[in-house]
Amino acid sequence: MRRLLLWVKFNTRRRCPAGLRCLFALVLSLLLGAVPSCLLAASFTATLDRETISVGESATLTLKFEGGEPKAMPTPPPLPNLQITGEGSSRNISIVNGRMSASILQNFALTPTQPGVYNIPALRAEIDRQVLTTPPLKLTAVKAGAAAADSDGEKLAFFKLFVPRKEVYVGEVLGVEFQVFVREGLANAENILQSFDQYGGCPLKAEGVSILKTAHAQRRRMRSGNSVYGVATLVTSLSPIKTGPLTLGSMDVNLAVQIPLPNQRRRDQFDPFGIFNQVQVQERRVALSAEPETLTVLPLPKDNVPANFNGAVGSFSLTLSAGPTNVAVGDPITVKVQISGQGAFDALTLPEQSAWSGFKTYPPTTKVDTTDALGLQGTKTFEQVVVPQSADIKTLPAISFSFFDPEQKSYRTLTQPPVALIVRPAGSTPVPTVVNATTRVGQDNPPPTQDIVHIKPRLGMLAELAPPLVQQSWFLALQAVPVLAWLSAVIWRRRADQLANNPRLRRRRQVAQVLRQGLGELRRHAAENKSDDFFATLFRLLQEQLGERLDLPASAITEAVIEEHLRPRGVPEAALTTLHALFQTCNLARYAPIKSSQELAAIIPKFEATLSDLQGVKL
Amino acid sequence: MPLRGVSLVLLLVAWLPLSSLAALSDSLFDAANKLYEEGKFAEAAAAYESLVQSRQVSAALYFNFGNAWFKSRQIGRAIAAYRQAEQITPRDPDLRANLQFARNQTPAPTLSPSRWQRWLGRLTLNEWTVLAAVALWLYLLLLAILQWRPNLRLVLRTYVLALAVLTALLCACAAAALCGTQFTRAAIVFAPETTVHYGPLAESPAAFTVHDGAELRVLDQKDEWLQVTAGPRRTGWLRRDQTIPLSSKAPSRT
Repeated sequence: MRRLLLWVKFNTRRRCPAGLRCLFALVLSLLLGAVPSCLLAASFTATLDRETISVGESATLTLKFEGGEPKAMPTPPPLPNLQITGEGSSRNISIVNGRMSASILQNFALTPTQPGVYNIPALRAEIDRQVLTTPPLKLTAVKAGAAAADSDGEKLAFFKLFVPRKEVYVGEVLGVEFQVFVREGLANAENILQSFDQYGGCPLKAEGVSILKTAHAQRRRMRSGNSVYGVATLVTSLSPIKTGPLTLGSMDVNLAVQIPLPNQRRRDQFDPFGIFNQVQVQERRVALSAEPETLTVLPLPKDNVPANFNGAVGSFSLTLSAGPTNVAVGDPITVKVQISGQGAFDALTLPEQSAWSGFKTYPPTTKVDTTDALGLQGTKTFEQVVVPQSADIKTLPAISFSFFDPEQKSYRTLTQPPVALIVRPAGSTPVPTVVNATTRVGQDNPPPTQDIVHIKPRLGMLAELAPPLVQQSWFLALQAVPVLAWLSAVIWRRRADQLANNPRLRRRRQVAQVLRQGLGELRRHAAENKSDDFFATLFRLLQEQLGERLDLPASAITEAVIEEHLRPRGVPEAALTTLHALFQTCNLARYAPIKSSQELAAIIPKFEATLSDLQGVKL
Repeated sequence: MPLRGVSLVLLLVAWLPLSSLAALSDSLFDAANKLYEEGKFAEAAAAYESLVQSRQVSAALYFNFGNAWFKSRQIGRAIAAYRQAEQITPRDPDLRANLQFARNQTPAPTLSPSRWQRWLGRLTLNEWTVLAAVALWLYLLLLAILQWRPNLRLVLRTYVLALAVLTALLCACAAAALCGTQFTRAAIVFAPETTVHYGPLAESPAAFTVHDGAELRVLDQKDEWLQVTAGPRRTGWLRRDQTIPLSSKAPSRT
């Protein structure tokens, strides 16, 4: 689908030639005639670009006609001390997707000459035989603030307080604007405005009010007299706390303004283009303070005060929700009350609800969500836990909230209807076995508990308060047992593996065991005087020991190995001699085995000494 | 013979105080129960408390102590007593019912145990510790057997792996239980309504309000103030004298 957007804008000032105006009117009427009449619902609106201005400033009143042309252009009636000047009209025509809309704008400049409130009455216009009316408008003119003027009498900078109303009620929240006007063209105008934009404190001075919050509004440009000013605005919310006249003042500031000097860009021979030439200024210090404003603080009416009014002033709405709504006696229900609108939310409290006598109530928790920078508009949420005390309760009673509405100058009470509840006669906890042990038989859904399980009749096994096992040293030490057992097993396994992989070590250990057993046999044979057995054992032991030491088979060992293997390897001569003697004794005993037990026993020490010598020698 | 006689006397000397203490505890316990049955709940609570202070405690004593506080409308003290009993008999259905019943009376905010904490709380810390220790013993002994008989390695490989996993899980559970009971400090509010501040000063702005029975986790402490939390974005400082700290000492059966 193709979209065609066509804007035709004609600015036909009243000073335009009449012929040209007629041409535009003809084109407009042709275009309007081509559009179905159902799309041309006529409307007539009147708007002011500002509702509050200083004396001498101008506000623009715009009359807007849509869907048709007025039969006669309405004009505001003359008002005392208010100059009304026509600023011309303009026409807008737009066609979007084949739909045409046209509007005519007529502007008037309103310039008050005295401070006060100017009521612009309703204006009437006839469009296509339809009479349309605008709502009345209000323009407030305030005194111009103290100002610092230049030599021509123009203000360089000034402060202004803007108070939207002169009468407020105690507790009502009011936003007061503190405006800083700095004339454009000053060298440090931007710096001054920026410093006020970043100012974090409260610019007001007042007694008898509670200062709530200060926020910054968007910077503006405004014309005052023949000059254009940059305007930084700080908006402070405050709430009067006592009745009577109240004077609002502003902070006093001593500003240094820099006025550019004329003919400042003088060229010199070294800087012909003026690149390095600084702007020459004249600095002037000005003391600024806004004109004080006086408010009248009214007391709240004493008639028709609602019973549950607790001091809330503003304009509010009330919502209520509760859950769960199906509970047992003693179960908590969370009641959520939301108060939305405009007012001092921090001071807002939920009134005591006398109808909640059947509930155990707990103090509510609160949360404030504001939608504007001053925290005047938003929602305060109260969450309160209530506990039904009886199964007879069928509803959560209606909740009401009263406040004083300054706009209507009367008290208002908001009420939310009761919330239906189902309160079962017992709690929702699991059924204790002792209480319901007999009643649970044959029931799918055991009856709910109404009370705690009764006390126990017996003290039971006594326990002593002590640190847990994991923090007791004996328990931790006990855990070392399996670790040690495992480590021992690992060490044993390593030694066994090492032995299995070393045949000489294994033979040495076997020979040592054979020798231990053989020495015993020798002593037994000597004691029993068994000469043949004694010398046979002695010879076998010699073979085993020498075979192990020389890494030869035991059967290959004879007396000859003494000269062949032992002497070359540096075995001590004494040991060799003893070995020779032992071998020869063994040989002689085969032929003359006549030996007494004492003689046989005497050989054993010599044999042991020889074994010791052999084991001590590194072969 | 003389040695055997001395041993017998020493055993009697050691046993007599214990038996007399147990008998005394029984009689005091019965007297406190009687006060409870007469509806004198505050007096009964005081009597149970004197027994608790003797450091010879039992699950039934803490249970009845909690009941007496509950009937005296002291939900926080009741929950504290029930949680002490829970450290001895965590699987007692009566205890679990009463603790849940008391918790239901407490308005938010309060910390309620997560599903994992409830599962872990089915065993006491000592039970988790013993289970983990037994698994560790079995695992290490099995490893020692394999060193002794390497030829069993193939046969026992599955058992070794399963036992290793089981031991690791049990050790993790024991560590979590230890962390939950010993290194995580908890406090229970016993004042009817207490304001939790943003800072450890009475002049600090109020953060939120807790009520009798609210269970809080203690994060820090400063002088007479405890930094507590009742959940995400619910952290603040509370006066110490308005809370009951949960004891980190576990009752061990004698």
